[in-house]
Amino acid sequence: MELPINRNKPLVMHIDLNSCFATAMQQANPHLRRKPLVVAAYDSPRGCVLAPSIEAKRFGIKTGMRVMEAKHLCKDVIVRTTDVPLVRDVHVRLKKITKDYSTIVVPKSIDEVVIDFNPVQSVIRRPLSDIACEIKERIKREIGEWMVCSVGIGMNRFLAKTGASLHKPDGLDIITYENLRKVYSTLKLIDLCGISHRFQARLNTYGIFTPLQFLDSPLELLKKQVFQSIVGFYWYRRLRGYEIDNVEFLRKSFGQDYALGKQTANPQELSKIIMRLCEKMGRRLRNAGRAANGIHVSIIYNDYTFWHRARLMNQPMYTTQELYRGAQLIFNQQPERKIVAKISIACYDHVSSSKSQLSLFDNNEDKLRKVSDAIDTLNDKYGEFVVAPGLLLGMDNSIIDRIAFGAVKELEDLYTN
Amino acid sequence: MHEKINEKISVITKYDRMKGTVMPIKLRWQGRDYIIEKLAYYHRIREGRNIHHIFYVSDGNMDFKLRLDSETLHWTLEETTDGTSN
Repeated sequence: MELPINRNKPLVMHIDLNSCFATAMQQANPHLRRKPLVVAAYDSPRGCVLAPSIEAKRFGIKTGMRVMEAKHLCKDVIVRTTDVPLVRDVHVRLKKITKDYSTIVVPKSIDEVVIDFNPVQSVIRRPLSDIACEIKERIKREIGEWMVCSVGIGMNRFLAKTGASLHKPDGLDIITYENLRKVYSTLKLIDLCGISHRFQARLNTYGIFTPLQFLDSPLELLKKQVFQSIVGFYWYRRLRGYEIDNVEFLRKSFGQDYALGKQTANPQELSKIIMRLCEKMGRRLRNAGRAANGIHVSIIYNDYTFWHRARLMNQPMYTTQELYRGAQLIFNQQPERKIVAKISIACYDHVSSSKSQLSLFDNNEDKLRKVSDAIDTLNDKYGEFVVAPGLLLGMDNSIIDRIAFGAVKELEDLYTN
Repeated sequence: MHEKINEKISVITKYDRMKGTVMPIKLRWQGRDYIIEKLAYYHRIREGRNIHHIFYVSDGNMDFKLRLDSETLHWTLEETTDGTSN
């Protein structure tokens, strides 16, 4: 029997700050307002555009373009690099505002928040559209008058996100069981959050070319043929407005990565970068009270080839030195030394840092952990890298602080600091 | 034109006890005085136990990013921009 469209009241709200990085920059610098502006990873011609302003989007500039491509489309475009603390502060303020409306508030990325009104539906005495307007007003009052957001309201997180992307900037759309088919009829498959070009091609293979056809596809087709997994069942429910995305995944790893501004094959230079990444990763690992059994290194070379390797150690790694030793061990196993464009380090298979098995031969482990904790305390008090490994001497702030894309666990760190 | 400056500057601030706000109202940089018309954004950055207060202000012709170090009480002009492309 076919599952009907969810007829429940739409109680999930998705808030998306429009062109967040660029709008925040325009908020802080009034002379950049009403001008085409792009925020890029680097302001050099090959730097990647992270966020174009609403004005720049009108010239066809999109996220992911090179700065030089943006300049071809609009020669007067203003190029700026990310002001990371500013964007993080905007996110924290947005989270603070939204926390006033429900017990379930989930940040989906640095510029997106989902409010689930289901736990508080009995105490809401006004329509969600009124609440959305109030949140828009509060964002203007408490974050800045230039900040705009699009709000979507739906029966589940997917429909709320779809609603938020219907009208940008400053939109407010509600998707109910009554207008669901109408909304789908205005969209393409690629407009649905979670449908990439590859998924689109796969759906096309089975004669599904529009979201409406996707909605009308039988469960058996999606589950057994198109997706050939439970993912088909998830899409079947998701498209009909049933919630399946309210899952919290536990943290399984801590990782840091870095795209080298100055690409190099010099092992000494790369060792310094590895040490710095290990120090940052180790700080987060220790803050969470964890130690890691495994370490993973992946490298993208400047000829776009990729190499990676993971390894489980015989003792959990806790200190930066232990993590660095593990990472360097793997790094040295590369089959050939080529120019590195991007390097990523991650540690996985976590255990509680207090449950460390005593080593039979190395009785200094406890001392090293205490020294590591003492160094962390000093850095908490006086600032990051005030006490740092000797390998980092002479290395200025060459690893730039970045904001990760997507639903990042790192957002948790923002609320604790 | 956007420039990174990182120079110590002189700043006059106004404290409003009713609103509980502090607002830089005038700054002197390279011998010139700039009357601040607008506070566009304010946030804090924690560096260890020290807090830096970041003020984004405008005098109507140019935008300034100012940093107040709460430990030393020194003001630094970090950046200026006049809204034109470099």
